[in-house]
Amino acid sequence: METPYLNTPPPPEELGAMTRGNIEAALAGESQASQKYLAFAAVARDEGYPNVARLFEAVAYAESTHARNHLSVLGEIGTTAENLKAAWGGETFEIDEMYPSYRAVAKLQENESAQTTIRYALKAEMDHQEIYDSTLKGVEGKKDFDESAVYVCPVCGHTVIGKRPGYCSQCYTDGSYFREF
Amino acid sequence: MDPGLEKRLPKSEDLKAMTRESLAAAFAGESQAAEKYLVFAEQAEDEGLPQIARLFRAISFAETQHARNHLRVMGGIGATADNLKAAFDGEAFEVDEMYPAYEEIAVTQEQAQAKRSLRFARKAETDHKWMYEQARERALEGKDVDEQPVSVCVVCGHTVIGDLPDKCPVCAAAKEYYRTF
Repeated sequence: METPYLNTPPPPEELGAMTRGNIEAALAGESQASQKYLAFAAVARDEGYPNVARLFEAVAYAESTHARNHLSVLGEIGTTAENLKAAWGGETFEIDEMYPSYRAVAKLQENESAQTTIRYALKAEMDHQEIYDSTLKGVEGKKDFDESAVYVCPVCGHTVIGKRPGYCSQCYTDGSYFREF
Repeated sequence: MDPGLEKRLPKSEDLKAMTRESLAAAFAGESQAAEKYLVFAEQAEDEGLPQIARLFRAISFAETQHARNHLRVMGGIGATADNLKAAFDGEAFEVDEMYPAYEEIAVTQEQAQAKRSLRFARKAETDHKWMYEQARERALEGKDVDEQPVSVCVVCGHTVIGDLPDKCPVCAAAKEYYRTF
């Protein structure tokens, strides 16, 4: 029982290098577990195990709370302006360095599916980079993002603001499959 | 998943070692981005920016599709009984080795909040481990698990099947703080 901290995630603290490294590794582990369980839930539902699917989703959510707690201790939850900057920075690294390097290796090694999944991600990160950039400018002028719908392709992650597209410009999936936020 | 979508997703393939390494790193990156954006969405909501919160959730969903695609190409998505085994193994590693080792170092370095975040996670992973073990036994007999509520503490991730406790036994959060699946 830890009543003094009731109902709050653990706050940031000054971390020794070893502990910081461990919390970062734990954040990576929890994030991957959460995402895996969501994928496993979809499989369970397809196989006719709706209750196993629900269990996977609940546990995925539990891992998300752990990821959030670790992120909080690391001091990586800032104001929205700071968070948009961090998000933009992550997308930029993926576009400028990470995915081009990975794509080059997958091409060299003639791994076709790997090239496809890398291309899908790279293209969508470009959408995200631009969206975060313009949203950050709005927030710096104290403006919320407007009320436009956001559509996401459930195959490749292509992200569109405004109108539902007829089909996905990256992977040609029919627009009716796009998920609206 | 809709069979129309299923056939569009990148397939698993025989991967060369370097390409596999690239995809494993990309999966870690996408998973962390997806989780971070969910946390950033909550922060935006707290700041009275609901549209930015919605945007973060949409982009988080896009990263989830990338994570799933990378995982598929690596052959990381199997039948439910296999997925439950993989999930069990991941939890067992965290409970038996990872979190105890990290906690030991956090204690040595006197990092109270890091220790708290690690302990919350280890406690919940202990529950997840046996839940997955029991679900796997059922799945191997071709049976779903029972239709009982699964509830998760929003603060620490404590996971309980069936009736809710009055208070979270791990972090003492009130019953109202559980999310039920």
